[in-house]
Amino acid sequence: MKVLVTGAGGFLGVHVVERLLAHGYTDIRCLLRERSKGDRLLEIAATYPGARVELCFGNLRSKADCARATAEVSLIFHLAAGLKGSAAELFADSVVASRNLLESLPGRDGFPAAQTRIVLVSSFGVYGVANLGRGAHVDEQTPLEPHPELRDPYSQSKLRQEQLFWDFQRAMGFELVVLRPGVIYGPGGGAFSNRVGLQIGPVFFHLGGSNLLPLAYVANCAEAIVVAGGHHDSAGQAYNVHDDDLPTAAQYLRAYKRRVKRLRTLRLPYFMTRSLAGLLEGYHRRSQGQLPAIITRYKAATSWGGNAFSNAKLRSIGWRQLVPTGDAMEQTFAALREQDQPR
Amino acid sequence: MGLKIAIVGCGKIADAHVEEIAKISTARLVAVCDLEPIMAEQLAMRYQVPHWYSDVQAMLDAEKPDVVHITTPPQSHLALTRQAVAAGCHVFIEKPVALRHCDVEAIIQTAVDSGKKLSVNYWPNFEAPALELRRLYQAGVLGRPVHVESFYGYNLAGEYGTAFRRDPDHWVHRLPGKLFQNVLDHALNKITPFLLDEHPVIQAVAYSADSADSSGKLLDELRVTICGAEASAFVTFSSHARPIEHSLRVYGTRNTARVDFTARTLVLDRQQGFPSALGRLFPPFLTAKDYLRQGFRNVSLFSHARFHFFDGMRTLLNEFYRSIESDSPPPIDYGEILRVSSMMERIFEQVYPEVFA
Repeated sequence: MKVLVTGAGGFLGVHVVERLLAHGYTDIRCLLRERSKGDRLLEIAATYPGARVELCFGNLRSKADCARATAEVSLIFHLAAGLKGSAAELFADSVVASRNLLESLPGRDGFPAAQTRIVLVSSFGVYGVANLGRGAHVDEQTPLEPHPELRDPYSQSKLRQEQLFWDFQRAMGFELVVLRPGVIYGPGGGAFSNRVGLQIGPVFFHLGGSNLLPLAYVANCAEAIVVAGGHHDSAGQAYNVHDDDLPTAAQYLRAYKRRVKRLRTLRLPYFMTRSLAGLLEGYHRRSQGQLPAIITRYKAATSWGGNAFSNAKLRSIGWRQLVPTGDAMEQTFAALREQDQPR
Repeated sequence: MGLKIAIVGCGKIADAHVEEIAKISTARLVAVCDLEPIMAEQLAMRYQVPHWYSDVQAMLDAEKPDVVHITTPPQSHLALTRQAVAAGCHVFIEKPVALRHCDVEAIIQTAVDSGKKLSVNYWPNFEAPALELRRLYQAGVLGRPVHVESFYGYNLAGEYGTAFRRDPDHWVHRLPGKLFQNVLDHALNKITPFLLDEHPVIQAVAYSADSADSSGKLLDELRVTICGAEASAFVTFSSHARPIEHSLRVYGTRNTARVDFTARTLVLDRQQGFPSALGRLFPPFLTAKDYLRQGFRNVSLFSHARFHFFDGMRTLLNEFYRSIESDSPPPIDYGEILRVSSMMERIFEQVYPEVFA
């Protein structure tokens, strides 16, 4: 069985390819945009001599590239998505690209769309948690965001992407498995999620306080994707992905300051964050957008409202955390420390 | 009710159009359209636009807009202008106006023949210091322009730069003048009010200074010398000079004006009447006084919520919409648009001779 991994050259993609090989998949096509990112994949492939890892360079915005990538493939791990840039780019890279990928499935000789399985890497950001109240429990039954227009462009694009996949699944009948990771972190990734706080000028505003941080170490997340993608009961299901022993935002920040570098931080309690968000929102409206509404009350409730999380559903299909959170944070901080050294 | 506005093309720049239209009380955005339905849908969702379409004609038939903003890549501007004008619409076009000068001529002719108005998004020329420069020039403070210098800095690592560098199929790569064609309007349209020649002598040199681009294919530095009958100009486009500067310097027979479009200031270098060492002593204080005045003006604009990034676009749109309602000439003279386009084509002929052969 030939497997396709889109976004294979990315932060998560490399780990997914490694876990696929570890789980015994032997025929993997890696779709990536940048040729420079192929070397790392070939290094990993070299440690599994019996496996065939094919590099396929292309862009999912191109329908021709999509057709090339999905030819003779019956299992697709769709990781490619826009992570930064303008809203238009995020939608083009996440939603238009996904639509192109899905439209390339019918008409492949001997590989009907209905007999294909797609594993979509979505996001925690698709949930509508703003109105749940502080401490509310977020699991796979939590409703999707009812007000995307009030969210940031990344969450908007990921929500639309997931809706697109469910729509196409109903029309084409393929098997769809959706993974919704929390904050993916690890060596090569960023230092802070917005859930911890925001760097504004020289000061890091610590807004997450004692909220649980739904961290998913990149190798653990990749393991979850591969386990769910290969499980016989996972079709039509969504799984939240985060590690077992979650730190709070404050614990993470303290550990960062101890292990990586000192940081000038200012901790704002949630009621103050919400009040400031209200002021900023009001000014943004009155001034017709002279200063960007980087924080609104809705976004504050979504990011810093404080939720409880569960990965019970993921554990029920056999996922186990490969790297304990303590080790994962240490490895991440070591990489960040090195990155911070003057060259 | 005001003018009904529609937008065709829902890429990144369309956000700016939506936001600026929303600030104009005499206009309302009724629909957006993109060949790619997902792009039209996302723009409508994010800004709560009442309707979105993926078929221009369907939108024109259903919404009957008064004005169509064309924010698609320039390859489609001529055809879309014809379609919009045929539907009785006035047209506001994003730069660059078209791929070739002959297409710009055809676009303007289409508007003229139909009696519809047209304008181009030369928004920096409608920012406060640019408008002040125009007033000083018209009042004779500068005298006769002798030489103009336009500097346009570009950030290859910014959102726009990253987008086209990452995607080898990005529409900017398909422009005959490549990267320069997408932004050079803004460097040239600042000099055309002072250099009125239809066919000035133009010399252009371009090269690549991007160390990350090992192929050396992306030309990202451009120097242009322009000589007219009464005035000359230097145009610099730089992707690597820091800080990123957008500036204009107009050397007149009386005084010289310096406009900084990034900091939004205008200062005058005046002829000195003081004798000897005193003439060297006073100028810094006079310049400081100018900067202080400009700084307070900007604070005032900020406090009145008139200091947005695209404030010039709002002013330009206001003037364009007013010209439609009062049937007066549009804010940018068609001759100026044609002179910019003609200069661009002659620059690209020298920089990319193989494309323009």
